Amino acid sequence: MAIAIAVIIVRDFTVNKKGKNIENPYAYDISEYTKVDPSEILYSEIKTIPLNISTPKGITIWKDTLILVAEDFLIQLNKNGEQLGKTILSSSPTCVTTSLNGDIWVGFRNKVSVFDKDGKSIQNWTSFGDRSVITSLAVSNDFVYVADAGNRVIYKCSKDGKIISRIGEKNDDKAVPGYVIPSPYFDVALSEEGYLWAVNPGRHSFENYTADGAMRSSWTKSSVKTEGFSGCCNPSHMAIMNDNSFVTSEKGIFRMKIYDQHGEYMGVVAAPDQFDEDGLPAEVAVDENGLIYALDFNRKQIRIFQLKENG
Amino acid sequence: MSNKEKNKSNRREFIQKGMRLSLGLSIAGVAGISALRVNADDYVWQLDPFKCVSCGRCADHCVVSPSAVKCVHAYALCGYCDLCGGYLKPNANELSTAAENQLCPTAAIKRKFVEEPYFEYEIIEDLCFGCAKCVAGCTAFGNGSLHLQVRHNLCVNCNECSIARVCPADAFERVPASQPYLIKGDFTAGDDHA
Ligand code: SF4
Ligand code: SF4
Ligand code: SF4
Repeated sequence: MAIAIAVIIVRDFTVNKKGKNIENPYAYDISEYTKVDPSEILYSEIKTIPLNISTPKGITIWKDTLILVAEDFLIQLNKNGEQLGKTILSSSPTCVTTSLNGDIWVGFRNKVSVFDKDGKSIQNWTSFGDRSVITSLAVSNDFVYVADAGNRVIYKCSKDGKIISRIGEKNDDKAVPGYVIPSPYFDVALSEEGYLWAVNPGRHSFENYTADGAMRSSWTKSSVKTEGFSGCCNPSHMAIMNDNSFVTSEKGIFRMKIYDQHGEYMGVVAAPDQFDEDGLPAEVAVDENGLIYALDFNRKQIRIFQLKENG
Repeated sequence: MSNKEKNKSNRREFIQKGMRLSLGLSIAGVAGISALRVNADDYVWQLDPFKCVSCGRCADHCVVSPSAVKCVHAYALCGYCDLCGGYLKPNANELSTAAENQLCPTAAIKRKFVEEPYFEYEIIEDLCFGCAKCVAGCTAFGNGSLHLQVRHNLCVNCNECSIARVCPADAFERVPASQPYLIKGDFTAGDDHA
């Protein structure tokens, strides 16, 4: 009897000991939805730039320069990953973009700062208030669009930081549904013609506005299948290519995809098995040559993807 | 303002406050010690939700049945999502909220409409057995506001917690009974429903 108990105890300890892989009968299994038909993967990873940064926050590209914001600084790298410049910031940034002349626009939780392409400070805007959570910026010739996830609105601002109008707030008369933003992912970008596109993540939608804030068009792809977006708030990041196609990155099921200018699914840039299982969804940026850049927050890398020859 | 309108506007302010906190990812947590089965000077077991990897062992390895580990909800972190990753199965876009489409094996999560398009999710503790399925879904797709905690009105404070022994994430630790919870957001565990 004593031996039997001892055996049971030893077995129990061996089978259940920490780290031993016991099957989880309650596993939350999304593996079915992470499978991608290889024929749908249109891009291949051609280069990886490891970053000596503990908390990367955002990426943008201006000509041949990769511009990143991280814990409390802004750095410029060339496309081989060599550092060209570094500027210490006053606080922790949330996002970055550039204007056509190469000026660098950095978003913080509730304010915006502007630097020239060498990192010299040009402007510091006043705060948008305690409720703001700025997640993305887009800069046209005349205006700056500031995506504020905290207030669920896009501010159209003059280049010196004055709010001209508020875009995307719910307005039944104008058939504007309003933003649903459950988590701090709310991305904006400009199309080749300068039209503003915003992700409405809680609705799995992309919305397109005139400079006056009227909605021009929108598209929605809600599905757990590869061609759609699922979960509470996706896509988490997006960028617009020169041909006006949309590159997206998702949370939950980490993957990057590409949609044509009308929102039709074209294929996969990077499949779920190309990312770590946990962490944050990669941010995306694109360059003039059609290369796609993923800022992989978990691996702390910039990963560069190119259209396959038969893609 | 009528009472009804006042309630509505309070609710809206609450959601907005909650969302702001969740968007700012404010993490904090303290709780009272009411209904603890130990003295305030003692130590009790608790799990760190930031270490937990939702392995499912909390459901089956507690000496108490159903488990003394339950899901709790940090409302301040919640996005009040319609398509809640912790409530609905992953393919829910194409489904309704019928019980068979709910992620929780025991339907222990109650969904309540707040205002278009927001929903509040409440854990019915008597039905929860700490399987962490909802925690995994919420962490993957949402803000991670659903998380597990040892509920001290149920835990018998074993000398050696039998879940701690098998937890692959080393999430269990001894904490002072005066601060028995390691919680996310503003979930208040003071009301232990003893
Ligand atoms: S045993 Fe550890 S990792 Fe597994 S569900 Fe419990 S706390 Fe989380
Ligand atoms: S899914 Fe599991 S942990 Fe979550 S409420 Fe249901 S029983 Fe509790
Ligand atoms: S100490 Fe005992 S009762 Fe409490 S959670 Fe661990 S096994 Fe369960």
